[in-house]
Amino acid sequence: MAVIQYREALRNAMVEEMDRDPNVFLMGEEVAEYQGAYKVSEGMLAKFGPQRVIDTPISEAGFSGLGVGAAMMGLRPIIEFMSWSFTWVCIDQLVNNAANVRYMSGGQYKVPIVFRGGNGIAHQLGATHSHRMESVYARIPGLIVVCPSTPAQAKGLLKSSIRCDDPVIFLESEKMLADRGEVSDDPEFTLPLGIAEIERPGEDVTVISYGRPLQRVVRSAMASLVDDHGIDVELIDLRTLRPLDVKTCVESIRKTNRCVIVDEDWGYCGMGSGILHKLNKPCFDFLDAPIEYVHSDEIPVPFNHYLEEAMMPSVERIVEAVRGVCYV
Amino acid sequence: MAVANQAVASEPSSKRPQRKPPAEVVPSDGAVERQRLRMMLLIRRFEERTYVEYTKPGQKIGGFCHLYSGEEAVAVGIAAIFDKTRDALINGYRCHGHSLALGMDPRVGMAELFGKATGCSKGKGGSMHFFQAAVGNHGGHGIVGGHIPLGLGLAFAQRYKQNGGVTFCLFGDGAINQGTFSEAMNMASLLKVPAVFIVENNGVAMGTQVERSSAEHDLARRGCGFAMPFRQIDGNDVDVVIAEMTTAAERGRNGEGPTYIVADTFRFRGHSMSDPLKYRTKEQQEQAKQRDPITLYAARLRERNLVDEDQIDAMQAEVDAEIREAIRLADEAPQPQLEARFEDILAETYPFDPND
Repeated sequence: MAVIQYREALRNAMVEEMDRDPNVFLMGEEVAEYQGAYKVSEGMLAKFGPQRVIDTPISEAGFSGLGVGAAMMGLRPIIEFMSWSFTWVCIDQLVNNAANVRYMSGGQYKVPIVFRGGNGIAHQLGATHSHRMESVYARIPGLIVVCPSTPAQAKGLLKSSIRCDDPVIFLESEKMLADRGEVSDDPEFTLPLGIAEIERPGEDVTVISYGRPLQRVVRSAMASLVDDHGIDVELIDLRTLRPLDVKTCVESIRKTNRCVIVDEDWGYCGMGSGILHKLNKPCFDFLDAPIEYVHSDEIPVPFNHYLEEAMMPSVERIVEAVRGVCYV
Repeated sequence: MAVANQAVASEPSSKRPQRKPPAEVVPSDGAVERQRLRMMLLIRRFEERTYVEYTKPGQKIGGFCHLYSGEEAVAVGIAAIFDKTRDALINGYRCHGHSLALGMDPRVGMAELFGKATGCSKGKGGSMHFFQAAVGNHGGHGIVGGHIPLGLGLAFAQRYKQNGGVTFCLFGDGAINQGTFSEAMNMASLLKVPAVFIVENNGVAMGTQVERSSAEHDLARRGCGFAMPFRQIDGNDVDVVIAEMTTAAERGRNGEGPTYIVADTFRFRGHSMSDPLKYRTKEQQEQAKQRDPITLYAARLRERNLVDEDQIDAMQAEVDAEIREAIRLADEAPQPQLEARFEDILAETYPFDPND
C-alpha cells in the first residue's frame, strides 16, 4: 500500500494490465510523445513502445472508431479522450458502434474497450469544455459507465474495466488527478463493476453521489452535517452509474427513510433524474420526505469563476437539502 | 512514398488511362469463372426477389431496404481474392451482396430480412446489418460513413497482430462527404494499416448526384492529400476489380499501407424501396443496362468458351430455386422469442441487470 496520486493510480492500472495482456494498448491525443496531456500516461511510451502507446491526430471519431473496430477483432483498446466534452463529435462511434454492434449482429462480437478521460466541470473552461457526460452515456444499453472518486477506485475500477468484455465509459476529472490516497500495489487488486460503496454508514439520511461532485463538495457537506448539525449521514458512493447498484441504495433508504442525490449535471433528464427513476417506486412507501436532488443550475457553464461556482452544488445547498428532508 | 499515380490523377478521370482487364495467361477450365458468374446471378436474384417480397401486399420484409442490383461486380471481385482466415470486410447498409459473395447462405440472409431468429443477426439487425464475423464479414452498418473508422480499426488489429490480413472497407459516394472518411483515411495512412478503402460510386447519394454533393466531381481526387495511392476503376468489370484489389491487398499485406479505390458502378434500383428513381431518365437507365456487370461478364466468358447459354440458363434456374426456397423457409421460420430482445446486449453478467 502506497500513497499515490489519482493520475498515478490510473497509470499503474494501465501499465499493470498492459504487462498482463499484450492485447491491451493505449491510444489518444498526446498520450505518447507528449507524455499525456495531463501526464497520466507519463513514461508509458518508453516502457511499451509506439506500437502500444499511440498518438493520434485530433480526430475523435477516427480514433474512437478505430478502437471499436480493433475491439471487434479481439484487441483490448484503452482510448483516452483529452476531455469527455470532446465526445460530442464522435458520439456515433460510442453509441451506434461500441454499444450496438453486439446487439445488431445477434451477439457475434464482444467489444472489450475502455474509453477514459476527464469529465465534467474542471474550472473556467467554459461551456464547450465542461460537459457532464454521465447522463448521456448511462442511458445507453450496451455500455457500462464507471466514475471513480478516489485514487484507489481509479486503479481498482480501471483494472476491472480493462478486463471487462463490454465497452466501458470511464469518467475521471482533471480536478481529481492530483488527489492523493492509499492504493494497493497488488497487481491483482481490482474493484467490482456495478457495486456501490457505503463510504460512511449512518442512520438519519442517505446521500447518494459519485466521482467529482463527491470529491469536490459532498464530503465537505457531510462533515458539516455530522459535526455542525448532528445529522448522521449515510453516504453512498455509486462508483458505477450503469448498471446502477439499486440494492445498496434502496436498502439504505429503507433504513434512513430519507434521501438526497447530488451531482453536477443539469437536473432535467440529468444523472440524478435517472437515479430517481430507479429509486422512486421501491422506496416510496419508506420515505418520510420526497427524495431531493441537488444539481447544477440549468444554464450553459459560464467561464467566470464566481458564476461557475454559483451554478454548481455547494456545501450550503447540500446542507440545506439534507436538512430539508430531515425537517430540521 | 507510394503515390506513383499522383501525376495521372491530376488529369480529369475521363482522360486517365483505365486499366485494362489483365490478359488471361493461365489457361482455365472455367470453373472459377462460372462460379463468379453464378454468384453475381445469385445476388441479382436475391435482390430482385427481395424487391418483390417487400412490395407485396402483406409486406413481410420491413424497415429500410437498399438493393445492390447492378453493383455485383465489386462484391464478387473482392470475394474472389478474400482470405476468410485473416481478411476483413466492412460495409455500409447496402450489404446483402457482399454478404452473399463472402459465402452467407441466402437462407440466413433472407431470414434476417424477414426479421427471424434464424437470420444472420437473429432478426435484430435487419437489411442494413448483415454480419457473419466468422468469415470476416463485419457488417452491414446503418449510419452513412459511421463504419469507416471501424474499418480502420479492423485493419489496425490486423497490423497489430501481424497476421497478414487486409481489410476491405466499402462505402458509397455519399459517405466520402462525412468527416469520418477524412479522419479514417488520414489515420490509416499515418499508421500504415493494411486497408483498402473502396467507394462504390453509383453516382448518386440517395437522390443527390455526385456533381451536387462533391465540389470535386472526380471522386478519385478526393483521395488526394492522404499520401496513399488512389485510383478510379471500372466497378462493373469483375476482372478489373479482381486485378485492382489484388494489387491493393498485396500492398497492404506487404506493410506498405492503405489504398483508395473509386469503383464506378450503377444501381438499377432506387436508393431504398421508397425511391421511384425520378431523378433518372429512361435513357440513363437504358445506357446503364448496356453496362450491366452480369451481361458483360457472361459475354466475356462466352467469348472465351468458358460458358454456354445452356449453362447460364441452368445457373439462372438454380439460383432462382435457391432464392425461392430461402423465401419459403424465411416465411415459415418462427418469430424470435420475445425474451430474446433482452439477449446479446452485453457479453458479461453484472450484479444488477443494466437493462432491467
